[in-house]
Amino acid sequence: MNDHNVYQTNNSETEETPEQAQQEREKEMQDDEEELHKLLLPNVHDLPLTPPSAIDFNFVAYFAPDFLKPGHDQYVYRHANGLCVIGLAPTHVAFKDEGGITAVDFNVGKSDRSGFKVTGKRKKQNAQHFESNTAVCKVCTNNDSYIVRCCVKGSLLEVNNRLIKQPGLLNSSADREGYIAIIMPKPADWLKIKSSLLGLEDYKRKREECFGSS
Amino acid sequence: MANETEDAPTNSASESHATSADVERNPTDEDKNEKLLNDAVQFLPTDAVKDLLSKEVCLRCIFRLFGMQVPICSSLSVKSLLCHVLGEQADLHQNISSVEPNICRSCLGILQFTYCGDKERVVENESACDFAVAIAELVKKEGHQIDSFSLEVSMPPTILENENKLSLYVKRKYRSEAWFKDRSISECSSTKDALKFALTNPLETLLDVKCGISTFHIRLTYSRVEASIRIQNFVEKIEGCKRRKVDAKNCLDTVKDKSAITGVENSVVSTTEVIPVDEKSSNGLQDNEPSETHEFPLKKVNEPCRLECLCFRTPIYFGGRYLKYSRNVSQTRWIIDEERMGEASIEEIIGGNILPMCRGDSYKFHAAGREDIDVRMLGSGRPFLFEIQNAREVPSELLVKEIESKINSLENKLVRVKNLKIVGSQGWTLMREGEAEKQKQYAALVWISRPLQDEDFQTISSLKETVRCYQILQKTPIRVLHRRSPLEREKIINWMKIEKIAGSSQYFLLHMCTQAGTYIKEFVHGDLGRTNPSIGSILGCRAEILQLDVTDVKMNCFLTE
Repeated sequence: MNDHNVYQTNNSETEETPEQAQQEREKEMQDDEEELHKLLLPNVHDLPLTPPSAIDFNFVAYFAPDFLKPGHDQYVYRHANGLCVIGLAPTHVAFKDEGGITAVDFNVGKSDRSGFKVTGKRKKQNAQHFESNTAVCKVCTNNDSYIVRCCVKGSLLEVNNRLIKQPGLLNSSADREGYIAIIMPKPADWLKIKSSLLGLEDYKRKREECFGSS
Repeated sequence: MANETEDAPTNSASESHATSADVERNPTDEDKNEKLLNDAVQFLPTDAVKDLLSKEVCLRCIFRLFGMQVPICSSLSVKSLLCHVLGEQADLHQNISSVEPNICRSCLGILQFTYCGDKERVVENESACDFAVAIAELVKKEGHQIDSFSLEVSMPPTILENENKLSLYVKRKYRSEAWFKDRSISECSSTKDALKFALTNPLETLLDVKCGISTFHIRLTYSRVEASIRIQNFVEKIEGCKRRKVDAKNCLDTVKDKSAITGVENSVVSTTEVIPVDEKSSNGLQDNEPSETHEFPLKKVNEPCRLECLCFRTPIYFGGRYLKYSRNVSQTRWIIDEERMGEASIEEIIGGNILPMCRGDSYKFHAAGREDIDVRMLGSGRPFLFEIQNAREVPSELLVKEIESKINSLENKLVRVKNLKIVGSQGWTLMREGEAEKQKQYAALVWISRPLQDEDFQTISSLKETVRCYQILQKTPIRVLHRRSPLEREKIINWMKIEKIAGSSQYFLLHMCTQAGTYIKEFVHGDLGRTNPSIGSILGCRAEILQLDVTDVKMNCFLTE
């Protein structure tokens, strides 16, 4: 009779010292944390060796080979929300020059593209409206300089100012940190230009010689 | 009061058909009132009463003018009063309506409990009790469970004007009388007060609850329905009307031709108050020489006011914290092009269980921040508030706990609720308090393009020691740039910690605590270099985020007690 296991419960009717209550709470918290931790840990076997990148995941890649001039290959990454990130495709002729790209200048056309600022959600008032062949910037190599164009008709939201101080970004990661600008096209304008752009597979095929076995 | 000792007649089996007889069944009360009434009536100046009656002022306006506050409920007592006042052995079956005006010029029929109701039907109630019965019916029809009520009355501005004009008239006419000097006319009560006074007791009896400050409101809104309006005023009242001010006659003619105006006219009548202009009456507020007008200071009234009776409960609030276990459930209902995003929403799962228990009209969901659809909300949960409109019933504490259990035992286990309870309006302030300062804790599953090294642990954790906390600069992420202002925001990372994952060299769990408003995903992958620094730039390699979980929302509200 005396060997009962006295069960500790949170019932206020049983006598519980403040100490015991504190212990109960701590144990509960520990349990909660363990539960949480179990939820957080992934199953290692489910993890892919190389996961898709944020760009692969969120953007659809399009290419404009020989845009207005032979060898001027550019990319247009379109986000699900309609925004387009433009930049130099890996087969752009500028990369073939020795030393790669050495400088980037946004002072082209009528104004310095790096200077303006777009404000507000609507982005309409002071956003600059560009045509697809409007010049966005100029990239320079040791030998030559090349104009980079908008590719997509729309409002220019942002240019990558970092390229001014770090033109090398184009050489190391033109498809990521070395992007040129962000454009916001109207849905109708996008549809028009989309038909003239190539998807990844078509682009690879076209530039077979660059992508071929090396 | 002897109320308690009487059988309560209103809670009869056939409750839905209470009558005024039920209300009056308390004989002791009635006798008492009758006596009070008779006593007060002794002091009424018969001449003045007759004069006012002939000028189309109703009995109750006369009573309130002379400061009589006796609750006159039964029609019988009014009739006997009439006898005394008119000094005749009047036939008791004689209708008050043969003596009283059809529609009182002062209260526009309001104190005669006459009004224009649904479908433009004129309703004439014999007594305040009948009127109260109609109101109580509405409350019961809606199925409201109440423990008190507050009575609100709104009347057109004309009423106040009429009150002033009337008391001025009496003052001018009878100021030399002895009885006038004895009693102070300023004792007179307003039409609004008189109506409330007349209705309160019968309503309390019928609804079996007290009148006072309450979340349950009975609102009576009276508005004028006047066919002939002076066009001049009408023109002035309409905003943005470009019509020139021409004299009244021309205006009338021109307007009649424009059928388009009539539509506007009706809406003006019901929403704003178009007050008929009477040059003489506007002067009447000053103590001028009484003008010999063939019209009493108040115009004849042909139609009673329109009455809108609303009964509703002010919103009640449910507070608590929610957890989200699914990566396919959005916080709020999310529909694009008629297609639902995700398989469910927190708002609908929780709201869909609370609303029916309150028998409310609708709900509004508020949360202290939000997470993406593919981000789980774990740990202590996120504070939320549900606002229930016009609940017919306020659930008990026990019922609220049942609602919580029900949600937590749903089969699909997508959502969990903690500490659900009804909160007062302080729930709002609790949620808003410190919203900007609140910190959040996350666990992210991160992949880097090279194997993890020993130094990395140090690099990530020690950032806190080199600067007091870690500050990053984030440009508006591309994924929200289409709907947010392009800004550069400084955000604080309070602390970070790497947790190794057994069996993997390039994956790890990143625990971190950051300032509210920090974009975590972008902090990991860098958002094309637009968030600086990022995990990738700190570790000198490419970093990607696979999963994100919120593990704590550090706020002081709706916590487990």
